Amino acid sequence: MRISGEKLKDLCAKKNLTLSQLLKKAEVSKNAYYSLARKDTVLPKSVLAIADHLGVKPSAFLEESTEENRWEILLEELEWISALNHHADRDNIRHTLLLLDEPPIERLRRALTRGQRFDLHGQRG
Amino acid sequence: MAKDLIFTDKEAEFLKELVRHKVDFMIVGLSAAALQGAPVVTQDVDLWFRDPGDTGIEEALKKVKGSYVSPVGKNPPMFVGTAVKLFDIVLHMHGLGPFEKEIIHCLRIPLGRQRVPVLSLDRIIESKKATGRPKDKLVLPVLADTLTVLRERAKKGRRE
Repeated sequence: MRISGEKLKDLCAKKNLTLSQLLKKAEVSKNAYYSLARKDTVLPKSVLAIADHLGVKPSAFLEESTEENRWEILLEELEWISALNHHADRDNIRHTLLLLDEPPIERLRRALTRGQRFDLHGQRG
Repeated sequence: MAKDLIFTDKEAEFLKELVRHKVDFMIVGLSAAALQGAPVVTQDVDLWFRDPGDTGIEEALKKVKGSYVSPVGKNPPMFVGTAVKLFDIVLHMHGLGPFEKEIIHCLRIPLGRQRVPVLSLDRIIESKKATGRPKDKLVLPVLADTLTVLRERAKKGRRE
């Protein structure tokens, strides 16, 4: 599974964007993009190894991530972390896992947005 | 979510300029914790500079039309301007070593189109413990639980 430059350019054109504009909007550096575009596969080696052992293509067991299975994975992780760490608060673990699913800039925006909205401690900090 | 209202390209541009001018700095405090996944709230982004007099800071400020206000009496130095009003200048981190020693505990976290130095969560916890302020004590359990999650993920990652 590799990046198809042609397909990507077609998709850009449909959105009236150049590839450069898309990369800028997506906050992906040109270096990062071209490094990926040069690769024969963008899939992790572990996925390829699993496919190889099964004698199938990776697409045979990959699927689009849905909100539902994202939650299933998160809840599984919540369970095993909570089971190993009885002292930890489940809500804190759940919120942290949800935030870790977001890009760092979104995590910061959420913290700042809530901080600006509610000055919880009556002080800055 | 107020994505377009807070921490926009303007703020990211200032950090990018600091990196471009090779200013030694790191994001500390609760913003640094939030970047690492802590579910916390904060009103500003604390920046700890090795040398607040670094000319690179002035250059970065010029680029985003901000300015530096020197400390007056008990008021610490501050940045003024739309692009920098979210940033606070930190001169000292309670309970931690000097900047030169703490920089080794930094992570490089992508923020916009560049990676910026961010103090690691375990060091933020050390600092919060040292201040002993009520608002810091309140947030410590949350930070500790976030660190637990990060450590469990790291352990799992090593096993896989």
